[in-house]
Amino acid sequence: MVEELNEQAQREKYVRGFGAMVLSRTLDRKLITAQRQGRVGFYTPSTGQEATQVGASMALSKEDIIYEYYRDVALMIHRGVPIEVMLDQVFGNSSDLAKGRQMPSHFVARNYNFMSIQSPVATNLPLAVGAAYAIKYRKKGNIVFATFGEGSSSTPDFHAAMNMAAVFNLPIVFMCENNGWAISTPVEKQTKTEIWKKADAYGMRGVKVDGNDFIETYKVTAEAVEQARAGNGPTLIEAVSYRMGPHSTSDDTSKYRTDEVQEGSEKDPIEVAANTLKEMGFINDNVVSRIKEESVRIVEQKFDEREKIPAPDPETMFHDVLAELTWNLEEQMREIL
Amino acid sequence: MSSKVMNMVQSLNSTMDLRMSQDDSIILLGEDIGKDGGVFRVTDGLLDKYGEERVVDTPLVELGIVGMAIGMASSGLKPIAEIQFQDFIYTAMDQIINQMAKLRYRTAGLITAPLVLRTPYGGGIRGGLYHSQSGETYFAHTAGLVVMTPSNPYDAKGMLSSAIDSPDPVIFLEPKKLYRASKAEVPEEDYKIPVGKASLVHEGDDVTIITYGSMVPLVSRAVSNNSVSADVIDLRTLVPLDINAITESVRKTGRVVVVHEAPRTLGMGAEISALISERMIEYLYAPILRVTGPDTPFPYRLEEYYVPNEKRIMAAVQKVLEFR
Ligand SMILES: Cc1ncc(C[n+]2csc(CCOP(=O)(O)OP(=O)(O)O)c2C)c(N)n1
Repeated sequence: MVEELNEQAQREKYVRGFGAMVLSRTLDRKLITAQRQGRVGFYTPSTGQEATQVGASMALSKEDIIYEYYRDVALMIHRGVPIEVMLDQVFGNSSDLAKGRQMPSHFVARNYNFMSIQSPVATNLPLAVGAAYAIKYRKKGNIVFATFGEGSSSTPDFHAAMNMAAVFNLPIVFMCENNGWAISTPVEKQTKTEIWKKADAYGMRGVKVDGNDFIETYKVTAEAVEQARAGNGPTLIEAVSYRMGPHSTSDDTSKYRTDEVQEGSEKDPIEVAANTLKEMGFINDNVVSRIKEESVRIVEQKFDEREKIPAPDPETMFHDVLAELTWNLEEQMREIL
Repeated sequence: MSSKVMNMVQSLNSTMDLRMSQDDSIILLGEDIGKDGGVFRVTDGLLDKYGEERVVDTPLVELGIVGMAIGMASSGLKPIAEIQFQDFIYTAMDQIINQMAKLRYRTAGLITAPLVLRTPYGGGIRGGLYHSQSGETYFAHTAGLVVMTPSNPYDAKGMLSSAIDSPDPVIFLEPKKLYRASKAEVPEEDYKIPVGKASLVHEGDDVTIITYGSMVPLVSRAVSNNSVSADVIDLRTLVPLDINAITESVRKTGRVVVVHEAPRTLGMGAEISALISERMIEYLYAPILRVTGPDTPFPYRLEEYYVPNEKRIMAAVQKVLEFR
């Protein structure tokens, strides 16, 4: 269940959620533009999935462990990951926590329990199950939250993870962010069943939610989190939204789809959220404008600042393969550098 | 200090038992490792002692076992996962190559996966194509993994104990042919054989034979039976390789044979041979020869033709010794 909040606290919580959605969208816009200008190498926007991610994040605690995927920008921002951490990763500069090792959108933020992103889709899910096993074994009381796209539900890793999580009755919540598309492949070509229904086959609870509605997503996630925390096992949530942007900056959506959702239209989750919060009397047009302007200011300022940071020292390429630098790497380092 | 006479299975079992009794973060997981004690009985009796939370019978899914072990390790546990036969590890190769091996690198050390992945490998049980493979090259070729393989009960204990303590993920390949092949005195207390340390199991002057795993006893016997004055190096750790042990011996003998059961092409022998010719060709009197399994799948009825034997080893040694 969602926590009981007085009106003031609820207003703060919801408006903060809205702020994260807007900041995430602003960052997406900036990075897509910057990629076209040749200032950024690559990017996978979360545009269209902000309500899903923020709604979910609102239900999680600081101690919960997140096995996220590459599109979870709004989720990371809402959990408090500083925007410079994300920009440093995108630039792969010397301040990047991972020393520029990965292509953009493969974030890590250990301090916020983001367990790092791999490219091969859904392979985070079995790891998430292992982390949930550790929590249960140590009786820690936190839970694991793991995300993936609907295309990723076709993988063996999805199957393995769902099955094991149910068999071991683990404190984990899986969230399928169904944005309708896996690059150019629509969900109808991915699977013959609805994703949430697959839960039944594994013996866990499955639930579908309108991922464009952050409050509904929050409530549904909170329920699943509570169930997991209480030791009552995993849930598979299917949050349905729409990938409004391209798959990545390398993608041309006009080759495969005509059902684009425009930013600012009534299907845009940020518009949906703005309207809901206005109806609740939590914000008005002035507040919305202020939040948007402030986001642009922050993103522009941080982008310019982080862009100037130089690349990592070439020596770092040889570090962290194993805990210690082995003789062959030492030799290869001397040979190359 | 007391010791017991044990075979390799008992040695591995007692190592896990000892370490589990001292450290409750050690968790075993795999198929049929609990009640059944593993199909080779390496985990026999541990379920009764440590319970099913720590000796976990998993569903039948190798990528799940490996993935779970990685997640456990990143969360502070010390998993020892078993893959029932190395032949079945391949569905988990993505987890091994893209998660296990790369986690430290891709997070610059913020998140690591210090787990041990044990698996029986190689011939010796008439297992045919799918119960006999030696796939060490696949692991050795992937940056970010430690690869170890013991050749006797004493080493098995010291090496497994080091693998458990390793900050890196370890592929621990157990030559199933040697599981019960011999017995040795194994101290009851904990001891370590360091990662990356080879052992000189036979000393001589005329030729260096570099080998590991199931081939070690065979090579030792061949050398003794034929009174060859040979250094026999048991690599024990394939990654990182003990280049010093190799260098020291090759500079002394100037003649080298590499013996392994795995197929020849791009096997460990190829790498060892390249390393020696790159670094010390001026010490060599003869080409480096390889005695290996052929580049075929592992056959069922004709196993004895596939696996290197004394005759093939001696033919190569003779050729290298006589080369002028
Ligand atoms: C195992 C694997 N195969 C292929 C790819 C290439 N690829 C990257 S993202 C993607 C589509 C993923 O779609 P989905 O899971 O629905 O997530 P979305 O990108 O839509 O958020 C593909 C095919 C990959 N990263 N991993």
